[in-house]
Amino acid sequence: MKRLLIVDDSKLMRDMVSACLRPLGDVTFELAGTGLEAIERLSLASFDLVVLDLNMPDVGGIEVLEFVRAQDHLAKLPILVVTTRGDDDNRTKILAAGASAFLPKPFTPAQILGEARRLISSDAA
Amino acid sequence: MANELHVAFRVGAADYAVPASQVLHLESFDTATPIPGTPSYVAGLVQVRGRLIPVIDLRARFGLPAIPRTIDHRIVIVQSGARVTALLVDSARDVVKLDDATFARPPEMLDGGGGFVKAVATVAKKLFLLVDVPRVIGEELGHG
Amino acid sequence: MSERVDLREFVGGFVAEADELVAAANASLLEIETGNDSQQPRPRAVRDLFRALHTIKGLAAMIGVEPIVEIAHALETAVRIADKGGGRFTSPSVQVAIKAVRAIAERVRAVADDKAPAAVPSGLLDAIANADATPDPPAIPPPMSATWDTRLSASERQQVFQALRGGGHVYGLVFQPSAELAADSINISTVRTKLAEVGELIKVIPRSLAPAGRGVVFDILIASDASPAKLAELAAMPVAEVSTIELPVERDVTRVDMSAVNEELPEPDSAPLAGRSLVRVELSRLDDLQEQLSLLVASRFRLERELTAMTESGLDVRRLREITDLQSRQLRGLRRAILAARLIRVTEVLDPLSLLVRSLVRPGVKEVKLEVDARDAELDKAVADRLLPAIIHLIRNAIDHAIEPIDERIAKGKPRAGILRVTCSETSTNQVELVIADDGRGIDRAAVARRSGRTVESDDDLLEVITTPGFSTRSTATETSGRGLGMDIVRRIAVDQLGGQLFVSTTPDVGTAFTLRVPVTIAIMDVFSFSCGAQSFVVPVSAIEEIFELDAAARVTPGGASGVTLLERRGRAMPVVSLGVVLAIDNGASANKALVVRRNGEPVAFAVDRMLGRQEVVVRPIDDPLAHVPGVSGATDLGDGRPTLVLDLGELTGKIARRERRV
Repeated sequence: MKRLLIVDDSKLMRDMVSACLRPLGDVTFELAGTGLEAIERLSLASFDLVVLDLNMPDVGGIEVLEFVRAQDHLAKLPILVVTTRGDDDNRTKILAAGASAFLPKPFTPAQILGEARRLISSDAA
Repeated sequence: MANELHVAFRVGAADYAVPASQVLHLESFDTATPIPGTPSYVAGLVQVRGRLIPVIDLRARFGLPAIPRTIDHRIVIVQSGARVTALLVDSARDVVKLDDATFARPPEMLDGGGGFVKAVATVAKKLFLLVDVPRVIGEELGHG
Repeated sequence: MSERVDLREFVGGFVAEADELVAAANASLLEIETGNDSQQPRPRAVRDLFRALHTIKGLAAMIGVEPIVEIAHALETAVRIADKGGGRFTSPSVQVAIKAVRAIAERVRAVADDKAPAAVPSGLLDAIANADATPDPPAIPPPMSATWDTRLSASERQQVFQALRGGGHVYGLVFQPSAELAADSINISTVRTKLAEVGELIKVIPRSLAPAGRGVVFDILIASDASPAKLAELAAMPVAEVSTIELPVERDVTRVDMSAVNEELPEPDSAPLAGRSLVRVELSRLDDLQEQLSLLVASRFRLERELTAMTESGLDVRRLREITDLQSRQLRGLRRAILAARLIRVTEVLDPLSLLVRSLVRPGVKEVKLEVDARDAELDKAVADRLLPAIIHLIRNAIDHAIEPIDERIAKGKPRAGILRVTCSETSTNQVELVIADDGRGIDRAAVARRSGRTVESDDDLLEVITTPGFSTRSTATETSGRGLGMDIVRRIAVDQLGGQLFVSTTPDVGTAFTLRVPVTIAIMDVFSFSCGAQSFVVPVSAIEEIFELDAAARVTPGGASGVTLLERRGRAMPVVSLGVVLAIDNGASANKALVVRRNGEPVAFAVDRMLGRQEVVVRPIDDPLAHVPGVSGATDLGDGRPTLVLDLGELTGKIARRERRV
């Protein structure tokens, strides 16, 4: 059973991402609407993959990344960052902050499913 | 899911099938680059459409003696989960529709007893053996 | 097996959320206007407005409503500028923004009614761009508290300042989440909601308790008239730990240097050139850096293996493990830094194209308009260098064959200038997609089929045929014919060498589009190539200490060793291993050359047949676990389309040593 954390302040995005990743099969989803909630959940439970929107109020995606990666037990957690054009979607900054991968919007269901599969399976190895 | 297209191929004296949805390409086969230290059924590495893919010689995998290379030889490139592998077969020509209602458990002592066949199907009096791709590509030793 | 998710099913959800966002945007605009009436900036409303626009832009992009994306993007840019200015958004700008939001709302309605949304109204984007959203630099409020000063932006400090100056109170709270509290529905979201009811939340910042403890706490800054006791209760914290924020000294607010302001909203572009410090670096030096890194990574793997072996024999290696884990993180960071150093903007790579197009077009006969849009896409310089010849060939082809002469275009009802569009976007973490499209003749499938004698039914078939070496549909000689590359080389570069993909899509008389998908970064290595038996191999140049001729007579065979002999070299005995025997290729009888590598400080010579050369190659890792073996660190293409293995000879010595011990 894989646990996925979907972090996005838009309910629509949370619903779409969940639908796109349901084909993974044996998964449960936890949804968070802010970076703060995400940090809180990550401190209370363990996950196999996080899908993280970059632009959120208060604590944005980059800050969540930096905060999470500073914690040893979360250093290897696969995190897929989703960006909107006009975000500081400077690839190097996102990857340097600790993203495992990133996907710019708009993306297709197949694209995000492929990235998620890749991240979850490489983590298991 | 009931009546699904399968790619059919021949290894030795039997006909096998895999779902067409798992097949990425079908290519003719010339040679593979041998990789030292791999199991004997791994023929080597090939490059197809820019991708490096390991080739599994199904004759070897099923315990059959080797035969000289012919122009009929094919590699069936399949995707199982995140892994892409090439299955080397004697020939591959047909595409068949198999009704999963007709799938039956395989009899014992098939293909060297390796457990590589997960079901058998009959279409117009012809027997097709459904290949268990994860077993063939060695999923249980996958995370080494 | 039906995994098809259709995002269009979410249109209903999109309309609902878009309506909320439009309402939120309007509410923010109203608040800003009210603030403008009393000359009070509303930084939070400006930020909320930005967020609403940014979110709706992302959603519209996912659902595929382009006009909304364009309007939202334009307006968001103007709002970002306002936010940097401390939250001032002038009244004329507000008016333009209201119009823009209304335009968005209209298009959301169209989507809801299942009608095609109207294109962006002409003039709106210009109006937005010209809106006067660049106010004077704001007054920066004086410092207030050590804990908070460095963590707040100008806008947020403005909020604190305004609250305190208005006679209110500002407090600092700490909320510590736990499983027990969460079970009672007390989590950071509910705490924030409750606090927002009794005050204005200025900032919430997470803080890790490591290394002293585990878990996180949230520091909360709130302007409120509620009592500290009440606030402590809502935040589930002891009241004694509530801190009060005061203004240290009332003094004249003066204009302050903007460079002291923290970044608030994301920047669309990197800093202007004047502010950046650049140094020219030879690409080969970056290649060296990367190679050194690969060696580091390889030796780390060896360390891992040794640690595993030690664990299996019962040793406690936990401290060592901690250190190697730290090293892993550091190596990852180093790798990212090196890769970042090699990236260049695709826009720069495509710069020379406009000059090229001008030189290729015969004035009076053809007219070609080149449009390049690479946005923020970046590519490793090594990839860009290899890709550019392929792009140039595709452009030449388009101008040469695809785009019709002026009179033919006019006769067809097309604009006189042919359009050549080169676009580049990042499709995922390590991939970019480059599209070279023209609005010319399209590729004549029937002619291709005739010329090649093969059936051409789909675009895939078409691509197969035209990338076959030697193929051409040139029927008349033109200026740019007969020189340069053929389509087969485009494929060889993009697909075989770089490990990417190539697609074509063409419609007669409408145009053709070539799509190249390539990795953003690749590993380049300087290698020696050699043969052993019938096979070729490569090894990194940096791993080889020496190469010399093998003189069979000088070798000595000690008893009991398989394939290992000794050679006297410079007064010392050096083991000579037959690579053919180690790899089970042949018995090493025809070995003429020896390659020397170091293992544990000691030199070992590998005997091989012939040296083939030295070159720079693209190395790709072998991912599949079946093919992942020690001694093989990847594969490359030496130009024959077949994988050639990259050997790690140091690893192979390990294998032999282990075999010997068993004997």
